[in-house]
This record gives sequence, structure tokens and C-alpha cells, in this order.
Amino acid sequence: MKCIQIVAALVLLSACWKPVDFREKERPMKKVWGNKPVYAAMNTAKQITFLVQKQPLHKAGNIYAIGNYIFQVDVGRGIHVIDNSDPVKADRIGFLTLNGCEQISIRGSYLYTNSFADLVTIDLSNPTRPIEISRVPNAFPEMAYNYPMAQPAETGYFTCPRTDSAVVGWIKDSIHATCFK
Amino acid sequence: MRPKLAILISGLLIIATTLFVACTKDGTASNASTGKGGSLTRFTISGDHLYVVDNHFLYAYSLLNPQKPERVYTSPLNFDIETIYPFKNYLFLGTRTGLYVYSIDTAAKPRLIGEARHARSCDPVVANDSVAFVTLKGSAICGPATSGLYINDITNINKPILRKTIELPDPVGLGLQDSILYVCCGPAGLKVFNVKQPYSPTLISTAMDGKYVDVIPYNGILICFVEDGIILYDITKPDLPQKLNKIVN
Repeated sequence: MKCIQIVAALVLLSACWKPVDFREKERPMKKVWGNKPVYAAMNTAKQITFLVQKQPLHKAGNIYAIGNYIFQVDVGRGIHVIDNSDPVKADRIGFLTLNGCEQISIRGSYLYTNSFADLVTIDLSNPTRPIEISRVPNAFPEMAYNYPMAQPAETGYFTCPRTDSAVVGWIKDSIHATCFK
Repeated sequence: MRPKLAILISGLLIIATTLFVACTKDGTASNASTGKGGSLTRFTISGDHLYVVDNHFLYAYSLLNPQKPERVYTSPLNFDIETIYPFKNYLFLGTRTGLYVYSIDTAAKPRLIGEARHARSCDPVVANDSVAFVTLKGSAICGPATSGLYINDITNINKPILRKTIELPDPVGLGLQDSILYVCCGPAGLKVFNVKQPYSPTLISTAMDGKYVDVIPYNGILICFVEDGIILYDITKPDLPQKLNKIVN
């Protein structure tokens, strides 16, 4: 077992950000306890909505400051809007759901971010009601399979995700392991 | 309590929104204000262009029509890019093999003009007129470099020279305010350095309020991205950060 893990770890390291399939003979024959992807159809996963209430933070990501606002990426899930007009009381006030999101930059009233491989422009004229106004599909092709949710957070066995759907979460289950990290 | 808070928040929002709209209304494409990002970013805006790096490409998108970015430049790069940092007419690319400097005198056509190679590692960058501060984090994935703060002389931008190395545990993002440098070292704290003499920095203090990943000094406030959210410090006196608030779950 240890040997399989080492081999798998080496293979994984050689291609850090790409899920790696086991070769047939290295794959555990029996079902093992591991992570299974939760899929959403790509077009559903790419829909953007704005929640006007504070949301819990899952995985803290990049931050960006402009005017009285701070934006913090929730890696792979979206962007928290933080009202910083009084830093002592600053708090999250809303959440832009944006699956596959990792990066953020702002100029004027436009926020530029990524949803998987797409470059998305968000109108922030009203920072408490941000809306998508344009999208460049497949702007960063590498991010199509190298997005934050493409692998489970923890190490161990997992089912290699399909690439025609978006992974929006991972659940523990008894699986036929095809990947390891 | 709740309704009061809601009223307060909506009040703040209305004020903030009014200000925001007032501030941006008269901004045309070329003078719209850019905010400030951290040092670990792969997106950055300089002038009228958005520059993006993924692992192997540098892209430039024109924001002349800010509602509809348009790709004007793509360049495959043969190094693993980690971060991008804009300074004046330059882009600093932190990669796993070194620091690369691009000129963006022609905004839509970044041009490689200098590089300082180092051992394989991960590395965000900040810079001022003559010095580029780089953190390197050696690890199994990033490479075997000694983790620490690497200080490069960029007086001659075409030829960055490594002048000083300070070993630090797990350094990640960093930020510069006047002559004070903040270096995030994960669970080992936020290191505050005086870099008035950039090649012999002195450690002033270490804040231990969280696991620090990245920082943005912005309008007298130090915004820290920590593993469980954000911590804000007052840095009216940059060498003496005073904790103001922690925004976590």
C-alpha cells in the first residue's frame, strides 16, 4: 500500500496541478474510503448570483482593497464583499457566488475575475448589487482543469473528476479510487 | 440588536454607495482608479490593461472598453509562473525559477528586460525604486531553495542583483509601506522589518494573531489575509501595527 502511495505521490508531483490517473495495475482493486466529486452542469456552475447576506467563509483566498471595500475570494466558490468604511467594525456584507473563482482585480467600478477558465467582468457601480456584464469564455485554458475544486482539499484517494462537468464539492464515500493526492 | 445593526449597515451602504458612485462617475476609462491587490495574485491591472498569468502564459487584456476586456497579447513562457506584480512601467513575474522583469512601455506588448535566477521555489514580489523584495518558500512542490526573504538591487532594472538573504520560516506574501516591510510567515507570524537600509533590514516585531498568508497596506490600514479570514491593523505608524479587527467566521 505504502508503495502505491509513494508512486502516486511522485506521479502527482511531476504534474502538480493536473489530476493523475493511476495505471491499471496500481489502482486499488477493492473499494476504498475516499472523496467523490459532486458535479454541476458547466453552464449551471457558471451562473453568478449575489447573496445580500453575510456568508460563512470556506477557504480564505486573495484579497483586494478599493475605496471603502475589501473583497476576499472564497477559493473556488466566490467573492465576499466586506464593508470597510469603519475598519473597527468591518464585516462581510454579501457574497458573489462564482464557482471556479480564484483571482480578482478591480479598476473603477469594474471587477475582473475568473470562473474556471472564463474571464468575467462584474459591474460594481452598486457594490451591494454586483452584476455580471460580460464574459470571455476559455480566456485562460489551463484553468479549465486546474481550478480550485478539481481536487479534494485533503490527501488520499479520490475519483478523478470528469472534465465535461464542473466539480462543485467533494463528499466522502466508498469509491473505486482512480486518483490520489 | 439585529434590526439596529441592519439599519446601521444599510445606512453605511447608502453612504458608501453614494460615495462610490460619486467617485467613479466622472472617471473615464483611462483615469479610473485601480484598487490594490495582494502580492500572491495572478491578475493585475496597470494603466489600461489587465495582465494575467497562469502557470505557463502571460496574457494582456485591453480595458479601453472596461465593460468588455479584449485580449491583445499572449505569450507562452517556459517557466512556472506564480505571481505578477506591477511597478511603474514594469511587471515583476515571480516564478519558480527566478524573478523576471517585463517592460510595459508598450502596454499591449510586454517585453522581457531582466531576470534574476534563483533556486527552485515559490515567490511573491514587491518593489520600490531601487529594491525588489522577494520571498522564497522552499518545499517539496516548489523546490529546494532556502526559505526566506531575498533582497534584490534593481537600480539597473536589466540586471537585478541579489544583495541580501534572510532566512525565514514559511514566508508567503509581503507588503511595503514607506520603509516598513511586512512579511507573512504563516503560523510563525507577521514579521515587521525596517528596510530603511534595504540590505541590512532590522526585525522590529512579530504579530501572532493568526496564520498570515498575504498583506495589503492600504490607506493607513494593513489588510492581512489569514487562513481563517482577514485581520486589520492600523498602520498610521507603519512600524507599530495596532490590531483593529478580525473578520472570521
